Amino acid sequence: MSIINYASREIQFKIVYYGPALCGKTTNLGYIHKRINPENRGDLVSLATAADRTLFFDFLPLNAVVIKGFVTKFQLYTVPGQVIYNATRQLVLRSVDGVIFVADSQWEKMEENVESFKNLEDNLAKQNISIDEIPYVLQYNKRDLENVAPVNYLEYVLNNRKKRVQSFEVVSSTGQNVFASLNAVSQILLHKFSKQSDAPKTAAAPVAIPVEPPVVKKEGAAV
Amino acid sequence: MNAIPCLTIEDVANLDGVLGEFLKKAEAELTVVIDRGGNVISQFGDMTVMDVTIIAALAAGSFAATKELARRIGEIEFNALYHQGNGNHIFMNSVDDDTIMITVFGRRTTVGLVRFYSASAAQNVSALLKALSSGGHGFSFDASDITAAPVFADS
Repeated sequence: MSIINYASREIQFKIVYYGPALCGKTTNLGYIHKRINPENRGDLVSLATAADRTLFFDFLPLNAVVIKGFVTKFQLYTVPGQVIYNATRQLVLRSVDGVIFVADSQWEKMEENVESFKNLEDNLAKQNISIDEIPYVLQYNKRDLENVAPVNYLEYVLNNRKKRVQSFEVVSSTGQNVFASLNAVSQILLHKFSKQSDAPKTAAAPVAIPVEPPVVKKEGAAV
Repeated sequence: MNAIPCLTIEDVANLDGVLGEFLKKAEAELTVVIDRGGNVISQFGDMTVMDVTIIAALAAGSFAATKELARRIGEIEFNALYHQGNGNHIFMNSVDDDTIMITVFGRRTTVGLVRFYSASAAQNVSALLKALSSGGHGFSFDASDITAAPVFADS
């Protein structure tokens, strides 16, 4: 859980990247670490196996001045995606403030995406947190691959709750929408603690943000 | 409206008092109080040599990782952990169900001395934090205080 220190005028938030194995969580953190101003970040700590699979977690501390008069520290974590490491995922989720769920857009990964999202819900429930209470956004990653499911399908499968959340088409290896999704969850998180957070939300449910204009295929057009 | 748990200047001064006294008696370099999620609650000592945020994240992980080991020998968890280095060492002890205290120390002292004084320091920290949680401190800010610009920029 976030905590504020009035003496040092610091606020801390914990954001966790969650998703199935090999969906690109660590790649997200790697890109952020590489591209963010070094003055605003600490070291990227990666506890990985020889095969570069996350064994425990990856951790990246970031600083930002986003609330007047305070330094805001964001701690980014990833969880190990492999099914057997559920105890580790529960540990990393402890005191979480916001979640970025990274889904693998490939058709054959759909079942793993759904299982991982259900696992997130279950692990949050063990901390008496409902997924509907916690600020989260969805990443549809690996959009550069050929065998990906359409965004509408991913929305139907993963973003079909009563309260729809922001979702992003992401290519974590090139950084496409990596910062956009981090900024989105950060803003939701910050506004959760603002005095106006009870105000009714009038904005329409957001959908995935296309990064390029959709290509319209004309029937009968020569290929 | 959600409020963020808040440490006032007075709370921090009280915690610093306890931690400062502990460091002096134990002759340790640095002590950090963290929650079990890895957030830093308070810190005291020489912080120039290491990134306290990373130490906190890894220490919380280390503490939790040994919980299963403890369970195998009939314990709920280990109350304290000690990582011995060649010149610098880390001692971690449980403060309460939500909090851990980490102490970094070098050649000037011994693990016995750190362990001895950390027990009473942990009790004092626990009492202070208990008073905090029952005191109902909380903080929230105006939405207008939040920057409209992206929080993080891709440079």
